[in-house]
Formats: sequence, C-alpha cells, structure tokens
Amino acid sequence: MLKGMFKKTYTLIDTRYSSSKTDRGAEKEPSIPEGLWRKCNKCGQPIYVEDVVDNHYVCPKCGGYFRVHAYRRIEMLIDEGTFEEWDKEMPFSNPLDFPGYEKKVLAAKEKTRLNEAIVTGKGKICGYPAVVGVCDARFLMSSMGHIVGEKITRAVERATKEQLPVIIFAASGGARMQEGIVSLMQMAKTSAALKRHHEAGQLFISVLTDPTTGGVTASFAMLGDIIIAEPKALIGFAGPRVIEQTIGQKLPEGFQRAEFLLEHGFVDMVVERKDQKQVIGQILKLHRKEDGFFTGGVAKMQEKAALSEREDGEGKEPLPGGPAGAKSAWDTVLISRKAGRPTAADYIGQLFDDFMEFHGDRYFKDDGAIMGGIATFHGMPVTVIGQVKGKNTKENIRRNFGMPSPDGYRKALRLMEQAEAFGRPIICFVDTPGAFCGLEAEERGQGEAIARNLFAMSSLKVPILSVVIGEGGSGGALAMAVANEVWMLEHGIYSILSPEGFASILWKDSKKAPDAARVMKITAADLYQMGLIEKVIPEAENLSPETMSGTVSYMEKAIEGFFKGLEGMSGSQLAERRYERFRNM
Amino acid sequence: MFDKILIANRGEIAVRIIRACREMGIKTVAVYSEADRDSLHTMLADEAICIGPAASSQSYLNMERILTACVAIKADAIHPGFGFLSENARFAELCEKCKIAFIGPSAQIIHRMGNKSEARKTMMEAGVPVVPGTKEPVYTAEEGLKLAEAIGYPVMIKASSGGGGKGMRISRSQEDFTENFRSAQLESVKGFSDDTMYIEKYIEKPKHIEFQIMADKFGNVVHLGERDCSIQRRHQKVLEESPCQQISKELRRQMGQVAVKAAKAVGYENAGTIEFLLDKDKKFYFMEMNTRIQVEHPVTELVTGLDLIKEQIRVAAGEPLSVSQEDIHISGHAIECRINAENPSRNFMPCPGKITNIHLPGGNGVRVDTHVYHDYRVPPNYDSMLLKLIVHGKDREEAIAKMRSALGELIIEGIDTNLDFQYEILSHPVFQKGETDTDLIPRYFPQYCR
Repeated sequence: MLKGMFKKTYTLIDTRYSSSKTDRGAEKEPSIPEGLWRKCNKCGQPIYVEDVVDNHYVCPKCGGYFRVHAYRRIEMLIDEGTFEEWDKEMPFSNPLDFPGYEKKVLAAKEKTRLNEAIVTGKGKICGYPAVVGVCDARFLMSSMGHIVGEKITRAVERATKEQLPVIIFAASGGARMQEGIVSLMQMAKTSAALKRHHEAGQLFISVLTDPTTGGVTASFAMLGDIIIAEPKALIGFAGPRVIEQTIGQKLPEGFQRAEFLLEHGFVDMVVERKDQKQVIGQILKLHRKEDGFFTGGVAKMQEKAALSEREDGEGKEPLPGGPAGAKSAWDTVLISRKAGRPTAADYIGQLFDDFMEFHGDRYFKDDGAIMGGIATFHGMPVTVIGQVKGKNTKENIRRNFGMPSPDGYRKALRLMEQAEAFGRPIICFVDTPGAFCGLEAEERGQGEAIARNLFAMSSLKVPILSVVIGEGGSGGALAMAVANEVWMLEHGIYSILSPEGFASILWKDSKKAPDAARVMKITAADLYQMGLIEKVIPEAENLSPETMSGTVSYMEKAIEGFFKGLEGMSGSQLAERRYERFRNM
Repeated sequence: MFDKILIANRGEIAVRIIRACREMGIKTVAVYSEADRDSLHTMLADEAICIGPAASSQSYLNMERILTACVAIKADAIHPGFGFLSENARFAELCEKCKIAFIGPSAQIIHRMGNKSEARKTMMEAGVPVVPGTKEPVYTAEEGLKLAEAIGYPVMIKASSGGGGKGMRISRSQEDFTENFRSAQLESVKGFSDDTMYIEKYIEKPKHIEFQIMADKFGNVVHLGERDCSIQRRHQKVLEESPCQQISKELRRQMGQVAVKAAKAVGYENAGTIEFLLDKDKKFYFMEMNTRIQVEHPVTELVTGLDLIKEQIRVAAGEPLSVSQEDIHISGHAIECRINAENPSRNFMPCPGKITNIHLPGGNGVRVDTHVYHDYRVPPNYDSMLLKLIVHGKDREEAIAKMRSALGELIIEGIDTNLDFQYEILSHPVFQKGETDTDLIPRYFPQYCR
C-alpha cells in the first residue's frame, strides 16, 4: 500500500503565495457562530435553524415535531392577509388572589409577547372563512384559566352567530392551577358553547397538538365533529408521569401518542403539519352549506365527466350475467364471497370524489372492517360507509375479513349521526359474512351495538341508501341497512344467517348448505320478489375491479335518480318513509 | 492567499485539487468517510480527517461535520469539487457564516441558477436565447395546443414532475398533439400525481455544447471556449472534446460573448459552465448554468494551457484573473474519456471491487486523472468513475488516434469497466467524421441503451 510513502514537502513552485496569516485578525478566523445550529431535542442531531423554519418546524433529520408559536401557526394555516384577531386585550383576573400569579403572567407575557395562552380570530383557509383559536404552549404551558376559557367561548359564540366553522388548535398542560376552581369551570363553559354551536348545525374541527392534556382534553379538545392530531403528539387526560407514579409501572412506548389515539378510536386522522392547511381546507369545502342535500345540492349535481365519458370496461349498459335462474342459489352464494370481487373501497373510489376517511368510534377502537367518511357525489357532499373485505391476507387481517366489531358499528353510527347534523345523505355498502363472533366482541356488546344502530338509523333525518354488494350476513348486515332504499347486486346475498349455519341448526349438517341456500330465499331476485329490496343491480360476468365499470355507471345513474326522487322532502318525511318501509314488512 | 484548503470531496477530483494546492504552496486537508480510508486523496493530503460512515449523507454531504472539521483544523477555505455539496446554496451560505471561503460562486447565485425557471427567466432578461416554450404551467390540451401553435412544431410536452422520459412526449403536428398531451399528462398523474405540464420547442438531434467561463471578484469575465459533450448515454456524459468541429471561429466568438454576457448578468464569480443546445441550423439555446468546476474541465485546460483549479483558488482568494480574453487561444484538440467501474453488457451496472492489476498509459499528450492504484478497492457507495483519460493532439484526427492508442495501453483488472465501449465509440466512422449529437449512442449503439 501507498500509505505514508508520499513526500509531503511543499514544492512551492508558485512562490508568490507566502503565508498571509499575519494580516488576518482574529475576527476573520474561521469559526462557527453561536446559534447557527440547534440540537434537535428529539434526535440529538445538529439542525440548521432556517431548515427547520422552511420545514414547518419539523426536524429535517428525524421528522420530530417542534412546538409552534401561535402566530407562526396562524401564518402556516390562514391565507395571507385575511386574519383578524379577536379579543386581543383582556383584563387580567386573579380570582383566588393567588400570590405571585400576576407576576408570573407578566413574565410569560414578556417572554412570549402574547397576552394570553390562546390567540383567537377570524380568517380564511384556502378561501373558506372560519373562526380559529390557537393555543401557545410557551405561555404557562397554555393552561386554561378564565381568559383562555372566555376567549374560546366568545369566539365560538360569535362563530355560531355568524354561521362560521370553528377550528381550534389545542395544546395545554390542563387547568391553570393558580385560578383553582374557576379554571375548572372553563371546561364546562367552553363545552357548553360548543354544544350550542353543534346544535346550530355548525362545524367544529379540533386539532390536537403536542401536548394536549388534562382539562383541555376533557373539554373542548375532544368535542370536535372532526378531530385531527399532529403526528406523535402527546394527548391524554392524566399525564404519563402521573400514571406511572400511580400504578407503579412503566408505560409502553407510544402510549398516549396521536397514533395510539387513532388506533383507539379517539381521533379521525393524524395529519402531517405540511398537509394540514390543505386537509382543513378540504373539510371546509365538504361542509359548504350551498352544496348540501337540503340546500339545493341535488339540483346542482353535475355529471362527473370522467364517469359519463367512460369508454373502457363492459360498455355503458351493464351485461346481466345470464338469467339469474341459470345459476343456483348456492352458485350465487359462492360468487358473492368470491375473492377478487370489488370491495366497498372500490365502489367508494369509483362512485365518489374527494373521499376523506375518518376513523374511530370515540370509545375504544378504530375498526378496520368498516370504512367511512365524507365524499362528494356529483359535487354534493355525502357520508359513505362501507364494510370492507381485504384483498390479500395482510389486508384481510387488518379488516378482519369484513366482519365488524362493535367498535365498527359504533364508528358507523357516529358518522351517520354526524351526517344528520350536517344534513348529508348516507350511502352504505354492505358486504359482510356477519358481525364478528369472538370474545372481545361480546365483551364490548356486539348485540347492543347492532341494536343501537337499528334504533338510531330508523329516525335519522337524512336520506339513507344501502347497497348489498356481496354478502349481507344477518344482523351484521342489517345494522347498516335500515335505509330508505336497499339495493342488491345481482349476485349479492342477504340472509338471516349463512347457509352453512342454517343447515347445521336445522339439519345438524353444515354440508347441506347448498340445499339450505335454495330454501332460504337469499338471492337478490328472491328478495326483490318478496318486496324486501327496491333494486337489483346487474353485474358483468366475473365481476372484478377491472370489469366493474358497467355496474358502476348503472349505480351512478340509479343513485342520482334516488336523490332526485327524494328532493324537496324534509328530514322528518324521510324518517317517516323509512319507518313505513320497515313497518310493512 | 489561503494557507490551508479543505477539500470537501473524494476521488480523482480531490486528488486533482490537492495537486493544484501543492503547486501553489497551500496546505491541504482531506476529509474522508470510513470507506475511503485507503483512498488516494486521504493519503496524499497533508492532513486528513474522517468525517463519518460510508453513506454520503453521513459524510460527504454532512455539512455540519465538514464545517466543524474545517474550523477545528483551521483551514481557511473549502473547495467543494463537483457533485456532493458543490451546488448546495445552503452550504455556501454556511461557509460564509463561518468565515470560511467557499471556492465557487456565492450562495445567492448558486440558488438562482439552481432553480431552472429562475435561471431561464434571468437569461431571457439578459437577452440570452432560450428554448422557446411556456414559462407558465399548462393543464389542458386546448391551452397546450394554442401554445404549441405559437412555438412551432415539433414541440416537447413535458410533465413538471416528470423524469427519466416519463410524462414526456414529442408532438410533430397539431394532429397528434392532443393525443400526446393527454397520454403524457395521464402518465404524470399516474406516476407523480401531478397534472402540471410544460410545452417547449423540441430540438432534434441537438449538440450539447458548453462554454467554460471564469470570473473574478472585479467583474472580469472570460470564456475559455467550448466543450462538445454530445456523446451521452441516458443523459450521462461519456466522452467530451474541445473544440467542437462544427463551431466556426465566428460562432465561437458569438456564443462566447453570449456566455460572458450571461455570466455578467448574474454577477457571476469563479468557474462556471453555460450549457447550450446547438441545433442543426447552428442556432443555440441556453439550457442551464453549472455553478462549479466540471468533470470534463481538463479538455479545456489542455487546449488553453490554463490551470482551472488554480485559477479558481486565485479568484476565490480575491486576486484578479490571470488572463484576459485576448490571451486565450485554443490550440490543438483534446478528448476526454470517462472510465467507469461498470459493466456495459449488464446494462452498465456499477461494478465495485478490488483492482488486482492496473497499467496506466502515458507519453506525449496523454494525461490521466485518477485516484485508483494497484490493489485499490473501489467502494460501492459512490460514483463509479475510476479515471479520466485525456489526450491532446494537434488536431482532432491526431487526438482520436492518440486516445485509441492510450485506451489500448490502459489495463484494469479485477473489476469490469466501460473501456471497450469507449474504444468502440472512438472507432465508429460517424464519430470519427465529427458528426456528433446526443442521438449518436442511442442510434448507433442501441445494444447499450436497453
């Protein structure tokens, strides 16, 4: 090797260049200025401050989120020049005459240049006006005292009056200790204002940022119609340290983080900071009053160009898969269960635009077997909910083979009630072998969850349409089919239980399922004849995501017809019709 | 003048810079990754500092480590070479903040020229011809059709997010425009979820010509003639030469003037390259500006007799240019072949490994710039270029003969190289005739472009 063999004496051919060290002062000495780099408090790597600013205050190396000052947040969120701050100056109050409190607040004001821990006001997001509140954790950990509670309440009240949506970026250590019981009352006060806002049919989006804890979590932060969280944000009622001390155990990694809450059904989505403006703008767009079903949305429904121009697939007129009689009932059962058949996710993707999925039942879990959210149908916002089977083993495990747990039904119900609050029609896709049968399902009340859906759906004051796209297995299917109209795909089935189950109960032999299928009357044609469903949707032979375009365009026209047929009806009339539909069965 | 320069690079260019510094009596500091402990630049420099693991992001691209090393070892300037941090405006800015001289243009210029649309705008304002096309994004075929009419066919339809030929279509007339536009846009939507399109004039079989310029802190700018870099495979330069056969003295003067004007328009400083497309009617269009020293700079050095690296160091230290435009004469012809550790028969797959035997050519007019030696192990982590073989002859014919002879003498064993591919190009009659354009390799060597 060559190591150490090279002569390193300088040849100095170009002697003009002698050392210039002498004429250089110490101030010209290369050095790294203070504050050029900061250490990321998440990954410990040095990061360049300007990079962090450009990156929405997210560490460019580890992706860790830094806490954001209220006004920076407003800059990132609100369209430039549209923000109007409300209640900037509020008189200081010290309800307990707590010694040293005023001094502490003054110091916080000095440090943060804020007047209190929250900034409220009005502005536009992607062109849509909204009322915004942003907490700033630098101000006494953004604890909620009288002024914070008052500012939020005033902002919400004003939003209700002006019919504007409210968006609050929550961050808080909880109640403000120095204000004692008065601070506690702010939880009730803010919640009450939000309840009135809700009853007035107005939207509230809550965005949970790091950290959202204590009394704030237990009041306004968790009351959003839609709850968004920032990645990895700490969100909880009791702080992790308190829990650890109380139970004497170490908490698992990721406990009380945004993703944990998503999994446990308490937030609709975790959205990266860079996408927040666009996502919130989209939600506001989906809640525009003028597009709604009861407010002229039906008349405005425009043909989706992409679909009406469809040229591929099986042609515009769907091909019936041969006369239904040619296939035995058992054949139909097998087709309805076939792998590769389009799932609810396929129909949602093809029939609607702007689909935004929401998660969680707000009690325990987000069930993968049910997918739901808001989308637009020909420009009109609708709530769509579907029971989804997986397309491969991995997805099937996540979706539990399309068998919903009580959490799934509760999520569906939550989204349906949300739809009712905002006057959105509901479209359900039914495709389940049955509600999940297992220990946990019983523990959390599978029966109760299904019953609750039947109970609540019967009187929802918006149009409901359910389409059985595959298997309609028993109560698990009915829990999403208490609708104004129920349609079935040509090779869908809808039954009291599976033919196998039927055969084994009646004949003690599950192998007699084909015979059972015949006598049970479970095919679309049977149900149509019995007057239990309103429409049979023709399918192409071997229906798959590739060959479904004919079926989709048939459905699209039919859905349009469904809405046009109900146009002008009031919510109570719709509920009454639904009642009568089932009353006569 | 600087006392000590840190070279924030590796491979042959680091070696090249160390040599220039030594000739100037400037101490050198090499930085190296753990994979480059035995690399020539590490051993050749006066001092060497390990700056991290093999991954570039952890070493040669890690600004904090390089700057910290520079301050710790008290070097007063950084030469970035090419690649890595050489065109990183933030790095140049950080150097300035740390009172370290960055041998290259200012952060502001790097930033401005690095942004394609900004660079294009600047050049148009300076009166430099650019490829006609839209500056504004186009979203529908109808809009596009109108623009295409205005630009004149053939036109290139390009997806804003496109790359590697995806979302790119050539339209030759209004009949096929709409179809091509739609399919390019669809490809872009599918591939990149972006329907933003641009339309520009399509230049058929262009020559890729670049002008070397050099500027000092006093506003003096000279051009050092052109390099013909048309021999490319998949937009990668393979072989470069200077001067270009098809450029007359008059055209050279014209293009050179434009290049100087472009550099002056942005207040350029240090070495830079203005890239042009030259069409078959000898019309030229600005493509982009490279704000660094380039791989192929030796061909310019051989025909002008100027040492570009030394000149870079001089102007960075605040000295005026050592030459004026009148002093610059192009003499003879130079060709450079890039020899890479790659396997042409396996789609040019990089081929790292140990060099078990090497013989380098030499003799009159033959120059080899390399960092490899007998028993050197080529690490898999970086660019596959092993060496640059450059020859200088009295004319193109002699240069080609010399290169073929030198390639014949070059022996590298233990790893695969593209040596034979280079030999094939040099032996091809079309190349020998001087009819080079960017289409030469795809047309005559399709077997290498699959």
